[in-house]
Amino acid sequence: MRLSFAALAVVLGAMLMPAAAQEIPMFGHPVRIGVLLPEEKPAAGPLWAEIVKSAREGLVATEEDFVFNAELVGMDFKAIAESPVGGDLIAAAQKLLDQGAFAIMGGYTNVEARTLGVWAEQKGIPFVNLGATADSLRNDQCSATTFHLSPSAAMYIDSIVGWYVRSGLRQWYFVVEDSEEGRAQYERMRWSMQERHFGAREVGRMNLAPGRAGGANLANAVRRANADVVVLLQGATDQLTALKDLEAGGVPATVQVTGFPHLEAQLRQFYRQSRAAAPNLGTGHRAAAWEASIDAYGAREYNARYRERWGVPMETPAWAIYHGMRILYEAAFFTGGKTDPKSVMRYIMDPGSVFDLHKGVGTSFRPWDRQERQSLYLIKVNTPARATNLLNEALLVGELPAIYMPGTNLVERLDQIGDLANRSRCRKPTPLR
Amino acid sequence: MTYGFLVRRGFVGAALASGLLLGADGLAQTPVKPGDTYRIYVANEYNADITVIDTATDTVIGAIPISGRPGLVRPRGMALSPDGTVVYVSVSDFHPEFEVPEDKIVAIDTRTNTVLQEFRAGGNPERVAISPDGKQVWASLEAIAHGGGYDIATGTQFVQFRVGIEAEGVAVSPDGKWVYVTAEATHTTTVYDVENKRILKHVLVGNRPRCVAFSLDGTRAYVSAEIGGTISIIDVTRNHTVVANVNLGLDSRPVELVVDPAGKYLYVAGGGTSAIYVIDLATNRIAHIIKERMGRRPWGVTITPDGKKVYTANGLSDSVSVIDPECMCVVKNISVGRGAHSVQVGVVPARG
Repeated sequence: MRLSFAALAVVLGAMLMPAAAQEIPMFGHPVRIGVLLPEEKPAAGPLWAEIVKSAREGLVATEEDFVFNAELVGMDFKAIAESPVGGDLIAAAQKLLDQGAFAIMGGYTNVEARTLGVWAEQKGIPFVNLGATADSLRNDQCSATTFHLSPSAAMYIDSIVGWYVRSGLRQWYFVVEDSEEGRAQYERMRWSMQERHFGAREVGRMNLAPGRAGGANLANAVRRANADVVVLLQGATDQLTALKDLEAGGVPATVQVTGFPHLEAQLRQFYRQSRAAAPNLGTGHRAAAWEASIDAYGAREYNARYRERWGVPMETPAWAIYHGMRILYEAAFFTGGKTDPKSVMRYIMDPGSVFDLHKGVGTSFRPWDRQERQSLYLIKVNTPARATNLLNEALLVGELPAIYMPGTNLVERLDQIGDLANRSRCRKPTPLR
Repeated sequence: MTYGFLVRRGFVGAALASGLLLGADGLAQTPVKPGDTYRIYVANEYNADITVIDTATDTVIGAIPISGRPGLVRPRGMALSPDGTVVYVSVSDFHPEFEVPEDKIVAIDTRTNTVLQEFRAGGNPERVAISPDGKQVWASLEAIAHGGGYDIATGTQFVQFRVGIEAEGVAVSPDGKWVYVTAEATHTTTVYDVENKRILKHVLVGNRPRCVAFSLDGTRAYVSAEIGGTISIIDVTRNHTVVANVNLGLDSRPVELVVDPAGKYLYVAGGGTSAIYVIDLATNRIAHIIKERMGRRPWGVTITPDGKKVYTANGLSDSVSVIDPECMCVVKNISVGRGAHSVQVGVVPARG
């Protein structure tokens, strides 16, 4: 017999052994955590549908694990979930509160996370951002009660720049979405090249409105610029279009093409589409918050349980649901069931609190912007010969930054990526008293 | 089943230990006799074999194959029989989602370095512990969130009980009353009451608990927490309650631990910092941190019954470091197999 998320649910009754129940600590009241699932939007395309699927499957697997854990210590725990209807996030979030949730998690786009962050701050409840990367959410638009599990754009950008600069790539070409977020990512990337990873220079840039293709002009511009790396700071679908244009336009396979890892762009379906759009250029390296083939730090067992449960690899949305739950669950679990907002936030922000993201080291939240420190992963999109199944769509290449560096400070190590306190424009302290 | 093995006898003079000794994961050993010799057994996770080292010379004297599928089948945790003459190895594969025939416990005779017995132990057994009477082996079954008890005489499982998710460390108290099983993803140590055949309680410990070892008198248990970087000290006599935590630092990532034969020090393998933390058990404070010349990512640690040498299994340097407790320093590094995971010291009894 193997433990699976499904099997866990079946055996819960057996866990309630009278002998155990007499001995375990008592948690005095029900513990409920609210999960906002991504809304089903057929018009949003197949990548969004994958996010919805991954989040839903992730929630089932997560709840099975945490209900199992809660039963061990006599905690009456349940994850309650809602999906927005017609884009009404607030109504769905309020429903969660009405059902007794002490905190909520969600935020699969920057707009969603912004909306929920404002609402949560008004309500005074903790909100865990699962998927929104925008640095603005950690700075001018920060919310005092939002905790960012999702890596920030700055963290992804520093990782990407660091990787390619260390790989010797010096001539950088940018394709920038003509939007507030696209411009912010570009500016942050320029800063990273100038201040953190010297040696590379910008050799060209094309700004494109969302949904607009660069076509042959893009490929010509990249070739003329003699770029050796192209960074697509666009939405996931536009990145696929750009890849196709670059390949069709004769950009040599030696040019490395990567893109900003939006949640949609961390899916294996995206990797598959990337390879289909550009068989050569579409099999490059990508940054990701999670990788289903990680084989260390207990991640082997964690990934294996998920694969057994659903028959598919654990994608980033499912991972985020699990660990968003873990942050909130442990705030109650390690404090004997305290779920009032300030106790929960105090636990999360306590420098002594440690969170295990299945990434091998204990992590913590940065006090200045409530961003969870963590390492990221670098994957390579596999070639057709290697991509024999969904798991093999990607090959794990590296960890950014490397966590195994004895003799160095762990927090400083993790703070190599992302914005430090001196760059923070968030002026809202966590309301702990 | 018998494997070919090169045997070369070593000798350690005046190797006496007084009182009980606790090995990694709480194994209780009886005192050894004059003339007994020691061998170090190292489970090589990626080599599917066990390296054997002669402690007299600190040289490798052979390897015992566990499987013909290195890289696919992995030996991990080990424990010793009370007289030190049988090494038990937990064996599984790298795919916890699949049940495979290699999920088993293998018993090795230290006198001949041959396999004596194999027990079926389904559920990805990660670590094992032996009862003080030497009649039972207990295993953490990682993939199915269980602890399991096996009768050594028959090789059959007589009990299976639920613990937290990702079961890992297991130890039996010196009086044989309690079996402790840690669970990495649940942050718990489950206390199983052997006599009454029931789970007594689940104790919250540090973040991602790995291994557990009892004190010589059995009144304390020490649980390493890899992500928390702590050692939780459980008072066994006070309803198995955590009474103190020793903070080794977030980066320490402690795994195996062993109490020295004098009961003075707890040696903790700090996998994250490639260090051995030595905790003074009188004060529960760190007395020494051994880093110089240490191999990389020590997970395993054990000590000879005479307390004169400490050995570590270093997974990222495929080596064993030898520590002299007199100087609290590394005196030698020995190359072993790939992915050295755990280490135990076996006894070869004196003839006659």
